[in-house]
Amino acid sequence: MEAQSQSNPVNTKFEQALEALEQAKPYAKSMYQTELFQQAIELANTDEGIRQLFSYAPRFEEAGVFKGGPWEQAEKLQPPFVGGSLKLKSVNSVVELLSELRMLAIAKGTYAHESVTAGEARTFLNEVLALNLDILFPAETEESRINDGEHIQRAERLFRFLGEQLSFQAIAKQIVMEIDRLTVQRPIMVNRIVKMITMAKQMMDANIDEQAKAALQRYAEAIETPTPLTKQASRLRDYNLALKDASEEALQAEAEAFAQSMEETGLVSPFHAVFIRHVNRQQPELLPATLRLSETGQAMLNEQSELVHDLIQIAVHPHTAQSIYGLSKTLDRGLLSREPVIPSLRRLLELDIHPEVKKLLLTPENKKEGLTANAILVSGTISVLGQPLGVGQGMNPTCQSARAISLWAQHGPGQLMEFIARAARDNDIDMIFEGEPIHSSNLEGGVAEEIHQELDPVSKVLVPHLDKIYNEMMKRTQLRGEDGHKWVNPEFYGEWIPRGFANIIDPITTAVTDYSGFVRLFYATHHPEYNEGHELIYPNPVGIYITNVHGDLLGLHAVSIQRIAKDESGDYRIYFYNPNNDSGQNWGQGIEPSVKDHGEQEGEASLPFDQFVARMYAFHYNPYEQGDTFMVEEEIVERIEELAKESWGKQYTWL
Amino acid sequence: MERVQNNNKVTALLGWSLPAIEAIDKLDRPFVVVGPPEFESFAKENEISFVGWQFQRLNETSVELYEQLKALGVELAVPLYEETVEWAGALNARFRDDPRVFNRSLLLRDKGLMKRKAQMAGMRVGVFEEAYNKEDIHRFLKRVNEALIKVDGDPADPIHVKPLNKAGAVGHRVIHNAADISDIPEEDFPCLMESHLDGQEFSCEAFIHNGKVKFLNITEYIKLGHSNFVPASSALQEWRPRIKKEIEKLIASFEVEYGVIHPEFFISPDGTLNFGEVAARIPGGHIFDLIERAYGFSAYQAQILCSDPDTTEEELDAFFPKDTEPPKGYAGSLMVYPRVRVIERLDVPEELKSHPYFDKHDMFIPATSKVAERVGFGNHYGTIFFFGDDSEEMRRLLTEYEKHDFYL
Repeated sequence: MEAQSQSNPVNTKFEQALEALEQAKPYAKSMYQTELFQQAIELANTDEGIRQLFSYAPRFEEAGVFKGGPWEQAEKLQPPFVGGSLKLKSVNSVVELLSELRMLAIAKGTYAHESVTAGEARTFLNEVLALNLDILFPAETEESRINDGEHIQRAERLFRFLGEQLSFQAIAKQIVMEIDRLTVQRPIMVNRIVKMITMAKQMMDANIDEQAKAALQRYAEAIETPTPLTKQASRLRDYNLALKDASEEALQAEAEAFAQSMEETGLVSPFHAVFIRHVNRQQPELLPATLRLSETGQAMLNEQSELVHDLIQIAVHPHTAQSIYGLSKTLDRGLLSREPVIPSLRRLLELDIHPEVKKLLLTPENKKEGLTANAILVSGTISVLGQPLGVGQGMNPTCQSARAISLWAQHGPGQLMEFIARAARDNDIDMIFEGEPIHSSNLEGGVAEEIHQELDPVSKVLVPHLDKIYNEMMKRTQLRGEDGHKWVNPEFYGEWIPRGFANIIDPITTAVTDYSGFVRLFYATHHPEYNEGHELIYPNPVGIYITNVHGDLLGLHAVSIQRIAKDESGDYRIYFYNPNNDSGQNWGQGIEPSVKDHGEQEGEASLPFDQFVARMYAFHYNPYEQGDTFMVEEEIVERIEELAKESWGKQYTWL
Repeated sequence: MERVQNNNKVTALLGWSLPAIEAIDKLDRPFVVVGPPEFESFAKENEISFVGWQFQRLNETSVELYEQLKALGVELAVPLYEETVEWAGALNARFRDDPRVFNRSLLLRDKGLMKRKAQMAGMRVGVFEEAYNKEDIHRFLKRVNEALIKVDGDPADPIHVKPLNKAGAVGHRVIHNAADISDIPEEDFPCLMESHLDGQEFSCEAFIHNGKVKFLNITEYIKLGHSNFVPASSALQEWRPRIKKEIEKLIASFEVEYGVIHPEFFISPDGTLNFGEVAARIPGGHIFDLIERAYGFSAYQAQILCSDPDTTEEELDAFFPKDTEPPKGYAGSLMVYPRVRVIERLDVPEELKSHPYFDKHDMFIPATSKVAERVGFGNHYGTIFFFGDDSEEMRRLLTEYEKHDFYL
């Protein structure tokens, strides 16, 4: 017997599958599509494979690749559906990918289609890219984390290829909007924003909209050369040398320009770090301008000039430049007047960091820059103290831990820094739960199987511990027949959390119970018109359902209500902190959290009061600060219940 | 090949099967497909001559179908699926004006009748009985184990139950105890009960024309309902002369004249050949595809050619490979069932995909991630095809990857 060898490379296998499909009669195409899709999946695993697939694209339609499915007629395809199909795990995501390559072949003129012109194909693809910036610039949102997988990576690969092949001009405006939306929330981690700006820079040479070009220019300068002298220096070293010869006025102008760019964008250039280190050593009188400090900030600087000097010297480097923004805000917040903060910061400067923690902090990049673990840790701490709402969970399902760090940075900086020191030095944290100490180092496993390291330094150090402790506390409440958060939250977060707790899900039946009572209670405890005027003092950790643009349930999420206040048009809004740092997602039913223009402070998102309530499933309240539930209008309750039932509520039984 | 005389005669394919349609199309024979009405629009779109029909149990409307087909010039019906076998019998009885063609087809549709007939022909079968309710099964399980002289505390020997009229593995259950019996749904009755026979199981695909075996394939089962390969390894092929004798016995007693039969046998450890059951349709387990891969001819075409009394000896001799012509290699298939309730992702190991025997697989993450509950040996979700020249390596691959979780 002889068996032929099957060690062909993937593209020959694809070619064979395509030929078999081409030869099949129209009615038999479906029998041969399977193997073609399998081989397409194999090819789409690499950038080179996508390129090869594209070279076959002119043959797809005639061969019958799309026969018998929704992609059969190219002229009927609609850009808004593309993103959704690409995000499916099933074979449809592959067919969708092949369909985009067909469009690209039409756009590039390698395939002449009888009903779609090259121009139409280009417009189609531009719109697809613009509508799916999350695939073009992979995000760290709830949705992308929940649905992440091979198919998503494949889609991202496709989009990179489309991006290379098409001009970005048509989507430039959209990209500017996206960068605006992200920067306005002032996240600590700006990697994704920087990546977007770097990618978008390729578009500036193209013939794009002047306004979009100017905006992109401004962002590009913010992360690179925002000042007159930086524009002349190509390298950090040259710039530092140039500073030594610069005049007083030139330095003043540099300080102003850096501060201006930082204030406008929340982004800090590595040159800014070179500059502030120079000023710190030579002309400390320029520090207030370089940091653009408020009066409080200036007072703090005067009072703690030695500490600030040391912080800059040790922690602010080109690679940690982003912490300059945090330093400016820390000073403005007046935190350095708080008793525990000063010694706590000093302690971190010289802390003996545990080898395991050092490994986490000293990424290969950081090592290359010659940074110490202490420098990274202190710069991270400054960022968290200055931007408490800029703490993000990254790609991890650890919204609880991110929320805790944010809360402590706002109201318990002493405690936060105690935890940081404990974790960094001892690789352990302990908390007391119902009288019993829980040590993270004694625990195995948390909510997250593995901590994704795209995190700010403080989160890198704390989250592995916090996540395990939180998980352990929840385990200990498992059999109580009520949602464990009722007991866990006040102990995990601390005394800022009131003991009253409401959750709509009955843990035994997992059905929604007494929803109208829940809505009434929230109004009576939180809405200023129903709660006897009690103001929210500390952030309230609440549980919400994350839904997609169609209102379909994606998963559970933890956010904190920061404030409740009237917006510019006099309507009550809930201002909240979302640890995914990307609050401007569309939740369906017209519910779209806004991040600016409705009175939001840095890092806050907001929604009209009732819309927020319609996505909430749990909250804490102070039973002593409660109005009358019967005063809440029936009509309000009904409206909210309808929104709930027609979105996430479809996944639940209602009792 | 000469096929001029067939040019005007229309063949009816009973059941919707794209591979069968493609096969007859490539033979250049005029045909009509008789299938469930939901395929009508697809057939129309693709200019496939089509008669919509629901194959429930035979009833008085069978005449109607005959009239419709006759009007289309049909003179031959080929059954593709289990439930079309007696329809083909009824239609061919009329086309050939031989009422017994129909009665013969019924033998192949009732597992109780089939077993009796085989026993009467002197073939070895296990102990069997028909069951009409669960009480019958309790009694049978008890009596079989009594006969095996089991005392209290001995593990009971299992028995098998299968609905009388369903295709091979559909509804096949292994019964160990009373709990297994209570799981059997009412719609599976009446069913056939048989004692358990240990031993190597295999199937044959015999292409028969004019009562003679024109081609005989032996398919080796690695795990029933999960994996098999074609042709059987040399150890099993040693039995070929005896197997062929048994099949000739079967053909004679069942009076099979034309078409394909797919009997299953066991060789028990003491070296006896036991008859399991026989069907006269396309076998499961992708066996027809494996036959094509291993021998190079289309088994679908073979079935059609053998079903036609007018096909000549010369045509068939030219179609099938000679006995002296060795197969091109061993072709195997592994049917994959998810072992999870919700499918999150696929894991097809690189090692498998780069193995020289790996041909292809058709597994995707299904659109509905929730896995359908499996009844009996129910439907598989995907198949992996292998091809290579060493039957031991084939056996190793099929055994090893049967244990792998492809769906996670």
